[in-house]
Amino acid sequence: MDFVILALVMMGIGVYGLLTNRQLLKVFISIELIATAATLNFVMLASTMGQGLGQAFLILAFSTDTAVSGVVLALLVIVTKKYGTSNINEILKMQEKMDSEVEQ
Amino acid sequence: MIDTLLLEILSIGIIISACLALFLDEVVYSVAALSGTFLFTALLYYVNGAIYAAIFQFVVGIGTLAILFLSGEMLSDKSTRKTSTKKLSGLIGAGVALSLPALFLSISSSTGAYLDTSFGNALWNLSGVDVILQALVILTVALGIAIILYEQKKGGR
Repeated sequence: MDFVILALVMMGIGVYGLLTNRQLLKVFISIELIATAATLNFVMLASTMGQGLGQAFLILAFSTDTAVSGVVLALLVIVTKKYGTSNINEILKMQEKMDSEVEQ
Repeated sequence: MIDTLLLEILSIGIIISACLALFLDEVVYSVAALSGTFLFTALLYYVNGAIYAAIFQFVVGIGTLAILFLSGEMLSDKSTRKTSTKKLSGLIGAGVALSLPALFLSISSSTGAYLDTSFGNALWNLSGVDVILQALVILTVALGIAIILYEQKKGGR
C-alpha cells in the first residue's frame, strides 16, 4: 500500500478532469481533488513517519484553499449570471461574438 | 492486517468517488460523490493516526460541500440526460482499476529522517508561515471582493 501512488492517481484524475470537463463547477471540483491529493500526500507521509508536521501543513493548506475556493465560486457565480451558462465553450463563443460586435 | 485491509478499502473508495465526482452528468450527484471523497479521506487520516487532520478535513469538507450544493443547484444547466447504469458501472470499474497501482506498487523508500515532532511543536515552528499565509488569505479575499464590486459597478452602468 503506497499513499504516494494513491495521491498521484488522485492528482492525475483531477488534472484529467480539469483538461476535459467543460462545466465550470466540474472544473472547480477537479481543483478541489488536486488540492486534496496534495494534502493527502503531506499528511500520510508525515503521519507514517510519526510527525505532526504534516497535520500542521494541512491546516495551513486548508486556510488558503478555503479562501481560494470562496473567490473561485464568487467568480463562477458572476460569470454564470453574466453569460447565462456555465459551459466554457459557450462562454468563449459569446465572448468572441461580443468582441467582434465591439470592433464593428 | 485489519488496518491494512481497511486502508485499502478506503483508498479504493477515494478513487471511485473521485471518478464519480468528475464524470457523472448531473452536478448535484457529482457533489454528493465529492462528499464521499472527503469522507473517505478523513477516515483514512483517522485510521492512520492523524486525528487533527481527520477532524479538519471533515469540517472543511462539510463547509465546501454545503457551498457547492447551493451553487450546483443554482448554476447548473438542468440536463434531462440521466446517467445510465452502464456508465455508472464503467466509472466504478475504472475507479477500481485506477486504485490497483496504489495497492500493489511501491515507490516510497523505507529509510527516512524520523524526527519526533509533535503536532503542537510543529504548529509553533510554523507560526511564521502561518502569518504569511493568513496575509495571503486576507489579500485573496480582498481581491475577490474588489472583483465582485467592480463587476457590480460595471453591470450597474
